[in-house]
Amino acid sequence: MRTAIVTGALVALIAAILFMGAGDPTGPNSYVVIGLSQGAVYGLVAIGLVLVYKGSRVFNFLQGEFGTLGAFAVFLMVQQWKVGLPYWACALIALAAVTIIGIGFERIVVRPLLNAPRITVLVATIATALFAIAMELLVFRPEPKILPPMVDSLFGKKGFEILSFTLEPQRFLIVLVLAGLAIGLGYFFSRTDLGLAVLATSQDPFATRVVGIGVERMSRFIWASAAFLGALAGILYVPLTGALTPGAMTTGILIPAFTAAVIGGMTSLPGAFVGGLTVGLVQSLSNWAANHYTLGDRLLQDIIKGAPDVALTLALLIVLLARPQGLLGKEA
Amino acid sequence: MGAVLEVKNTGIRFGGLVALDDVNVNVPEWEIVGLIGPNGAGKTTLFNCIMGAYAPNTGSISFRGRDISLLPTHRRTALGIGRTFQNIGLIRGLSVLENFMVAQHPRIGYGAIGALLGAPRSFAEERKLKANALEVLDFIGLAHLADSQLDGLPYGTLKLIEVGTVLATDPDLLLLDEPSSGMGPDEAHEFGERLLRLRQMLNLTVLMIEHHVPLVVGVCDYVYVLNFGKVLTEGKPQEVRSHPEVIAAYLGGEVEQEEQEEGAGVAS
Amino acid sequence: MAATAEAVTSPLPVAQSRWSPTAKGWAARLLVLVAIFGGVIWATAIVPQYWADRISLAVIFAIIGLSLNIVLGYLGQVSLGHHAFVGIAAFVSAYYVTEKAGCSAEKCSLGAFSAGLVFAILSGGAAAGLLGLVALRIKGLYLALITLSYGFMAERSIFEIPFLTRGGAGMPAPRPEGFTTDRAFAFLCFIFLALVIFVDWRMIKSKVGRAVLSIKHSEPVAASYGINVTAYKCMAFILSGMFAGLAGGLLAFRATNVVSNDFNFANALLWVLMVVVGGLGNRTGVVIGSAFFALFPFLIELIGPLDKFVSGTLNRNPAEFTPVIGAALAILTIIRFPGGIAEQLSPITRWLGGKRFSMHPDGGHGDAHSPKKTVLSKLGLHKGEAEAATDASSEEIRNDEEPNLAGQPEEPAGVSGREDS
Repeated sequence: MRTAIVTGALVALIAAILFMGAGDPTGPNSYVVIGLSQGAVYGLVAIGLVLVYKGSRVFNFLQGEFGTLGAFAVFLMVQQWKVGLPYWACALIALAAVTIIGIGFERIVVRPLLNAPRITVLVATIATALFAIAMELLVFRPEPKILPPMVDSLFGKKGFEILSFTLEPQRFLIVLVLAGLAIGLGYFFSRTDLGLAVLATSQDPFATRVVGIGVERMSRFIWASAAFLGALAGILYVPLTGALTPGAMTTGILIPAFTAAVIGGMTSLPGAFVGGLTVGLVQSLSNWAANHYTLGDRLLQDIIKGAPDVALTLALLIVLLARPQGLLGKEA
Repeated sequence: MGAVLEVKNTGIRFGGLVALDDVNVNVPEWEIVGLIGPNGAGKTTLFNCIMGAYAPNTGSISFRGRDISLLPTHRRTALGIGRTFQNIGLIRGLSVLENFMVAQHPRIGYGAIGALLGAPRSFAEERKLKANALEVLDFIGLAHLADSQLDGLPYGTLKLIEVGTVLATDPDLLLLDEPSSGMGPDEAHEFGERLLRLRQMLNLTVLMIEHHVPLVVGVCDYVYVLNFGKVLTEGKPQEVRSHPEVIAAYLGGEVEQEEQEEGAGVAS
Repeated sequence: MAATAEAVTSPLPVAQSRWSPTAKGWAARLLVLVAIFGGVIWATAIVPQYWADRISLAVIFAIIGLSLNIVLGYLGQVSLGHHAFVGIAAFVSAYYVTEKAGCSAEKCSLGAFSAGLVFAILSGGAAAGLLGLVALRIKGLYLALITLSYGFMAERSIFEIPFLTRGGAGMPAPRPEGFTTDRAFAFLCFIFLALVIFVDWRMIKSKVGRAVLSIKHSEPVAASYGINVTAYKCMAFILSGMFAGLAGGLLAFRATNVVSNDFNFANALLWVLMVVVGGLGNRTGVVIGSAFFALFPFLIELIGPLDKFVSGTLNRNPAEFTPVIGAALAILTIIRFPGGIAEQLSPITRWLGGKRFSMHPDGGHGDAHSPKKTVLSKLGLHKGEAEAATDASSEEIRNDEEPNLAGQPEEPAGVSGREDS
């Protein structure tokens, strides 16, 4: 019910902005499209964050690096070693590899810390993320690499024109993937036994165990899923940035994704989608505003650099102060 | 002899749950007043309101005639209210001795800035504080535990330490939250005797949450019964004890209370 | 308090004084301390200038570690944006000496330098103080996220302000006169580290430290002890910020030019890890851990074959291994050795602090074993009687303290403690 209201409000807001900016070339409309498509990426990463939070009650700082590792894996196969397999096959192999890494991480780091304070586990994920980034630097060096997108045409089209902005096929693919995930996960968590078991584990590990569901198995499943989703996000998104560098997904995407998860509600999967789109919008609209409005005789963006980041930090602060459980979450 | 503590029309709600509803409690000087009621009745919530951990939505709280409703917790402590907790209110990362010293915080004779800058006064006062604390520990027979961490110490010892730290701050009003929990009937009786002696020697006024009926009857001058956040009845212990509604609240009422607890997940 | 005590319980006949080292014991400890510090000073005096420069980096890192330790180790909150405080302070002091105090390109007057540092300290404190205000309402994981966001915001907006940072060229910060050489500057840094350690020591040994630690473990109990939680939380952040500011200022003058690249969130994360590896809440461990992180690449250089392997076969700069080893050590610390370096060194540090030397931390249980001996000796019992008496008195003692599993190291309050986040 609440999901419907919030989503409805968001759609109404977007419609209002588009309506007001219609026909105005310097208007925010193209920014809205960019923002939403970028928001889809944040949403994709945020799903992994929410999944881990629901399962282990911890902020997974490693989620970004699952993506970077996935991207590097594809890069290795497609560009460096040139194994000759089709892109999508390499992507699948990369997904599998990173999923295994996620399972390994759960076993080596998360499991021993089952009863440790959550901040400890956070620091552990931070350490692992830094380790991963440092290893990437050592192996791949800091110079950016080019990772071509998986698709350069979708449904026969090379570009999707929406409101005077051309969306690359890969970007559109991300939106489709996100939509598919929304439906799939919604079904998974409400209809399948495994999905319900995961939810049960996050709400009451003890009772879950009593009923016969292995908490360890659930933990492994959750981290494997998070790693899979993280890798998927990286493989799809990094080609769009034009530069594959160590830590790419962590430096660029992780913080907005966290903000998205918090705004949507750390315990709410639909919230991850909503939060992602919201963050994307906030970012791009504040970019537009800084470019468009002036204070005195100077553009805002010349006075306050990094407007998107300022806007995001403020948004995060406001949400945490006013409504810590986010838009759709159930508990702080 | 006026009232040391007056709780007037105090009410508080958490979301949709009404934890306290128009509660009036009066604690006259030098009396030991009991606060009883089934689990979830709101007794600890009332303590939290008195101490300032929660801000009630309605009503006021006065200490010696002065309205303290808006004072932060540490100011209420400084006025002379001491409190024990249901789950042992000690700082688990500090040693026994350090806990004693922390409890004296408001009465320490140097300022924070001075301390940081290494003012000679802070050195001297610290030495004094430590010596005093060791003395007290010595007297109650726990000097050998002075540097021990709290984990691993038995429950009875922890309770002793907690009461010791609170009493060492020389409070006027003592709020005890289930002091006899974990004690057998003999221990509880002994505790009751000690409490009476303490009241005499230290001019204490006490408000006590308790479940142990003989202790309440033996020690309290007056009793309030709380149920579902409201004062069910009040009076001398003997009267209250045989009050039919009180009995119903503990026996029959308890079943309903459990169901309500599962739904709301609220502790007393 | 006497009346209280008597009324509470009947006393046990086990009162005895706490163990203290003899005069010779103190002398021995003093000798060791002098040797350690003297060694460090002497090393700084004789090594080549470029090594002295590295030593000053290690000292500055130690100050940063101590700064972070206040928030992370003492207060128990994670700050992933400390680079914001350090960076802001560095730019403020550089800006002051270059634009306002008009220092020449070669060197600064001592007065300008001092004022620059003061501004650095104040700006660091203010920036952290803002965060402290936020920390009053938001805690734990969510505060960590805010600090991360705050740090990013600083990177992307404050460090981009042209008049403050002069874009890519950076803002100059010439060395103060009299301390222009690397060696002299290193000694200057040592002096500041000593000051920081002094203040930190006074803090922990006084009501301030106790208050902050109490807040970390249990806010409600701390409040009911009469601690003004709001004030002390802010104080912890501001003090942490001031130390960070000092470090920022020193970094500026060490590098003689401040560029935004020097302060990024990868650094902030590394600093958190170095405090964890050092040992949360433990000053000595944090200093050693921080110094280790700063000097690590150079240590590789010192080991010939290793250096050849890294630079030659692997063809990599040793500095690139710092985050790898640092992160691995951090993970290892968290999972297996929660007390970090501090815990490993604790037999030595406890001895230096005036306790008996022992491989196992006692936490008072060691002292508790001596009452048996003291009581017996006070009673003047002979061996046979001693055993009989032991059974009786040990019952009492065992009831009052159940020792932890023998040999199990106690975790210093911190990373793997039992508290809730």
